[in-house]
Amino acid sequence: MNDFYLAVSAFLLVNILVGLVRILRGPTPPDRMLMAQMFGTTGVGILLLLSEAMGLPVLRDVALLFALLGALATVSFVRRYWPVEFAEEESKE
Amino acid sequence: MTALTWIFDGLLTAAMVYLAWSLLSERDLFKAVVLFIAFGLLMALAWVRLRAPDIALAEAAISAGLSGVLLLDAVGAIRSPNPVPEDTSSDSG
Amino acid sequence: MMFEEWISSALVCAGAFFYLAGTLGMLRFPDIYTRLHAVTKADNLGLGLLAAGLMLRAESWPAMIKLALIWMLALVTSATACYLVANNALRAGLPPVLGRYRSGSRP
Repeated sequence: MNDFYLAVSAFLLVNILVGLVRILRGPTPPDRMLMAQMFGTTGVGILLLLSEAMGLPVLRDVALLFALLGALATVSFVRRYWPVEFAEEESKE
Repeated sequence: MTALTWIFDGLLTAAMVYLAWSLLSERDLFKAVVLFIAFGLLMALAWVRLRAPDIALAEAAISAGLSGVLLLDAVGAIRSPNPVPEDTSSDSG
Repeated sequence: MMFEEWISSALVCAGAFFYLAGTLGMLRFPDIYTRLHAVTKADNLGLGLLAAGLMLRAESWPAMIKLALIWMLALVTSATACYLVANNALRAGLPPVLGRYRSGSRP
């Protein structure tokens, strides 16, 4: 039974690594930043499966932290790296 | 250790080595920061596989969370004040 | 006992399928708005199914509640991040791809 969870978590790890292409190739900065969000969500899945496969219930706390961190990085990206003024919108149209 | 754990750990290690190399040799600062956040999350997964969940918590919080946010803020502060994301380095591989 | 294990395995497999759908959407969709869709909806549905499958095998009630809370925290954070990124991209003037899907075309 543990092998099943480990196999699914390895599959999710492959998903993360394939999605890494989007960081390297994404044309705009938000595309790259989106991968941090995806790493967060998929990492939570991997950690929950590993906590079942390895018999370490404390990994659920690490999963809780992962769920928070992806959004933290995204919010910081939007507010600090890429602030957009309302006046810019009129000139862009 | 079954073959599945070897596959999981091998994928994780190869991805971390490739990610570290590509973030160190990256010219675009923002891309390097996003790769650094992804590396921090994978590093936390590696600590989990080494059965050290407390270090994984610290790694995720400090490396992916705190350092990622600080580096994003720094990159946003030192680049030219241009709110629209430009299409630099879309041809990398 | 056996029945619960089968249900749990089926739910985990369904979650993995939705993760695969999210990754494919991430790679194949043409612009930032549709990619946001793939990441913040398909992946969270996969996480929900996966957490539901693991809840059936949890050792106690607090563990089950904790798994449900992890899923709800992921839902809240990714909804927030999705709104922020999409709103900012629209205000910054990134054009959405309209009409029929053509690879890399801009209206």
